[in-house]
Amino acid sequence: MTHQVLGVTGAYPLIVALWLLPLAGAAICWAFGPQLRTLAGWLVSALVGASFVLALLSWGAATQSAGGALGAHQPLVSWMPGFDFGLLLDPLSLLWTFIITGVGFLIVFYSIGYMEGDVAFARFFAYMSFFVFAMLTLVLSDNFVGLLVGWGLVGLASYFLIGFWFERRSAVAAARKAFVINVVGDVGMMFAIFLIVANVHSIGFGDAFAAAGTYGPGLLLAICLALFIGAAAKSAQVPLHTWLPDAMEGPTPVSALIHAATMVTAGVYLVARCAPLWQHSAGAQMLVGTIGGLTALLGAILGTAQWDIKRILAYSTMSQIGYMIMGVGVGAYEGGIAHFFTHAFFKAQLFLGSGLVIHALGSEQDVRKMGGLWRRMPFAFWVMLTGVLTICGVPGFSGFFSKDAVIYGALEHGHPWLCAVGVVTAGITAYYMFRMLFVAFLGDYRGDADPGEHHAHAPVWIMNAPVAVLVVPSVAIGGALMTGGDDSPWAKFFAPLFGGPAAVATSGAPISETTTSVIVFALVVLGFAIAWLRYATRPAQADAVGRLQRETVRMPAILTNLFYFDAAINLIFVRPAQLAGVAAGRVLDPRVFDGAVRDLVFWARWLGALVRSFQTGLVRTYALILVFGAACFIVYYAIAGAAR
Amino acid sequence: MMTVPIGDYVALGAVMFFLGVVGVIVRRNPLIMLMSIELMFNAANLLLIAFARAWLENVGQIFAFLVITVAAAEAAIGLAIIVTTFRPEKYVDVDDIRTLHG
Repeated sequence: MTHQVLGVTGAYPLIVALWLLPLAGAAICWAFGPQLRTLAGWLVSALVGASFVLALLSWGAATQSAGGALGAHQPLVSWMPGFDFGLLLDPLSLLWTFIITGVGFLIVFYSIGYMEGDVAFARFFAYMSFFVFAMLTLVLSDNFVGLLVGWGLVGLASYFLIGFWFERRSAVAAARKAFVINVVGDVGMMFAIFLIVANVHSIGFGDAFAAAGTYGPGLLLAICLALFIGAAAKSAQVPLHTWLPDAMEGPTPVSALIHAATMVTAGVYLVARCAPLWQHSAGAQMLVGTIGGLTALLGAILGTAQWDIKRILAYSTMSQIGYMIMGVGVGAYEGGIAHFFTHAFFKAQLFLGSGLVIHALGSEQDVRKMGGLWRRMPFAFWVMLTGVLTICGVPGFSGFFSKDAVIYGALEHGHPWLCAVGVVTAGITAYYMFRMLFVAFLGDYRGDADPGEHHAHAPVWIMNAPVAVLVVPSVAIGGALMTGGDDSPWAKFFAPLFGGPAAVATSGAPISETTTSVIVFALVVLGFAIAWLRYATRPAQADAVGRLQRETVRMPAILTNLFYFDAAINLIFVRPAQLAGVAAGRVLDPRVFDGAVRDLVFWARWLGALVRSFQTGLVRTYALILVFGAACFIVYYAIAGAAR
Repeated sequence: MMTVPIGDYVALGAVMFFLGVVGVIVRRNPLIMLMSIELMFNAANLLLIAFARAWLENVGQIFAFLVITVAAAEAAIGLAIIVTTFRPEKYVDVDDIRTLHG
């Protein structure tokens, strides 16, 4: 199986332009924010939209194939042999570019309405634009160092945007947590790059992958693990996932763009991009697949215990990325990437839909204080409903095709347990998503704020239009692209990159794809039914407030404590680090480092006092000493001369 | 022509040098001390010239001129210091000049 990475070298000004346009937007918004005012939003929308159009225009270049190479390669800077920087647009990066700029455009446009009246309006759009640029750097880079630079920059943009409302302590804490955990991942990636450069003396993808078979199993496993630490931190995989739910402190469009559609899927991109490495290491594949499956399951279980609408969506994001990682981990690349593609649409839709609700209710995020919103906000209700149907994988909706591709892919590549985990997770997903929908939109309104009064101004068309546009691909794109198995447009698009179906080493699946789908759907219906019985029936809705409060109390401690991941990380890493800091501050620094300096000062003073005492200032004393010294010389030479 | 033995020169030089040393150590008047120093210089000069003559080497004579030059410069500086310390008090004693003590 060949994995063609470095494409047709040449001049592709379109790629450079689509890469740099968002950076220009960020620079302009940063420099002229106060002058631009609301124009900043329109400017960034236009630039990101233009970037999207350029990406569309680059389609032909990205899919061209010549001399065994695929895509378009634009060299930028050559530092020294083996250290060349350039842009690479092949089907994989083209797909990500579409999502980053396309969905990014819709979300930025939506933000014009969502962020209306915020004091730091232009700053928000500068950060958003900067994020788009950073993410494009990540996916367009043709080498590991450029990838790492993009990797770090998206983390930085994420930090800025999570902490956007920095007057809230919780937002600042969340931003810091996200940044620190992401840096853990960056360091892991850096070590992977060190290992690669030490062995192939090149940072280019092409050189690294061409030598994939020559690394030896131990080294290859080390490289894959180090890379996956980066992927796990960025993509919120267990056990580095704890920052993602906290990251919901950022404005909702940020959650939609960065923490649902694009940045958190960078890990999926990395695993897919480095597929040639993973394909030579069955152990690494097994590990990545298992972590993905575990994350999918844990995320879904944790999603059932949340009341904050954005945290529910955050855990569902974590769970869905678990699916993607599981897919690309076991080798079902088309499936994993397909789930990224559909997820970008439906999760952005769900986040923006929840943003409509949050915006209308004056920043209320607790679903227990919503209820009955389907009558007051029918548009938001329909958006959320279609989103929920898609994420649950109801047949016909996009999520169905991609999720089943992952679940069946796990089975096909010989991981029946992961397949089972995926099936169970699908059922839990249906439960918690419908639970959110029912609690928030059915029954009677339970909030404090009267939505009819001051807050629930109907969302303006600026916010509704992007959501409406998102609904279309979210519902239909799976059916349009992913039907027909190996003959689907999707499979054909990626066949040159990941090899045809014949090249995939399938170990044969015991049951057919249709059977899997039926089982999944049965569990989805089951999850829906439980959610319906618990939250949507008339008796359940009647005593909603009191019952929902009690239910929080009754929840198992392990769920309210989020499986003790935060506590464990605190215990294992944070506390020892704090203790080490205290030890250094109270003992090491004052006693050892300052102590050494103080001792030096003491002895220098002592020596100075000693030498100073010789300086009497009495000229005759000096003369006496001088004569004494001269006498000593004379006596010495007299004795020496006599001896000779 | 009568030749004075070299030992006589050395003896005279030693006596002159010793007188100079004693003068520097025991006297507290800087003028006398300067003169004692000159005495030591001249003892050294005498020996330089005597040895130059005895060994027929002119280097010693050249060195004597060098020493005279240095001695003149030293005397100029020394006198300048003495004059500046003498002026305010109209009195000078080297034991009182100890502003540079440690």
